Amino acid sequence: MSLKGKLALVTGSGRGIGRAIALKLASQGADIIINFFRHREAAEKTAKDIEALGVKTEIIRANVGDPVKIDQMFNTITEKFGHLDILINNAASGAGRSVMDVDVKAWDWTMDINAKAALLCSQHAARLMEGRGGKIVSITSLGSGLVLPTYAVVGISKAALEAVTRYLAIEMAPQNICVNTVAASAVATEALKFYIQEGLVQDSQQATPAGRMVTPEDVANVVAFLCSEEAFMIRGQTVVVDGGTSIGLLSLVGKETVQ
Amino acid sequence: MSIEQQIREIIARIAHVDESIITRESTFKEIKADSLDIVQALVAVEEAFDIEIPDEEAQKFSSFGDFVSYVEKRVEQKGNN
Repeated sequence: MSLKGKLALVTGSGRGIGRAIALKLASQGADIIINFFRHREAAEKTAKDIEALGVKTEIIRANVGDPVKIDQMFNTITEKFGHLDILINNAASGAGRSVMDVDVKAWDWTMDINAKAALLCSQHAARLMEGRGGKIVSITSLGSGLVLPTYAVVGISKAALEAVTRYLAIEMAPQNICVNTVAASAVATEALKFYIQEGLVQDSQQATPAGRMVTPEDVANVVAFLCSEEAFMIRGQTVVVDGGTSIGLLSLVGKETVQ
Repeated sequence: MSIEQQIREIIARIAHVDESIITRESTFKEIKADSLDIVQALVAVEEAFDIEIPDEEAQKFSSFGDFVSYVEKRVEQKGNN
């Protein structure tokens, strides 16, 4: 699978899953636009690591929760490159609350970053893909379909993101743009440490039939596949990367019981 | 308007509290700012002053005064560059 000569924008790619995706696409030859908002040092480190792979990189700071900043980011991309081949909607945030504690502020913050930003970025990207086609992949989570503790508004935002993906997949199909999502269970990242500290995630390793936590690289591998021509006929789908957690008996009764 | 007053207005707007209750000694808990309020305040202050506040630094703020002092320092550094 070669992405040589392709230009990819990965939102929130300074750290975690976004960084792994950026590195994976770069390793296959794509030039990478790194978007970050609050962690410049991490973005610069990712850029350095990408350049070491022999491709070009550009860093753009933008808060994707703000439509004006999204406009500015794509204005920069249009002026500097004039096109885009791949968009990865990875940037995410959210208020960890139970459904009865979700207020307007928590709703707006989470929906703006996780769902609205993906729609707006995809609209901009589709215009830059006109006449050449492209790939759009968004990162969702199992919480869109499963009820997880204090995950209400994030789960709802991810469900919206998946619906946006389905509509884009069909309506952008005539423009030769493939649109999909990748859903991961708890991924071993800095962000996950917070949830573990808060007691929201416990021992995911034991609950995973595949025997280990999902890594950012596991997610990146699937994203890269969806960005390849081999995945041309996959449209509007959510590909689950969870080591079997969501369908396995282990997640219900625990490893000791199964053994 | 001073940096302190600008930050006070930002926090009061986000946390829905009266500016008068925010003193240099106030903790975020006393201001009744939850974790989302704090993140939103950091974002708003970063944009207002065109600076970046790493999470590692923000976690050290134990009071409004700490937050203000850090921003004042960063703005001054920016002016010197």
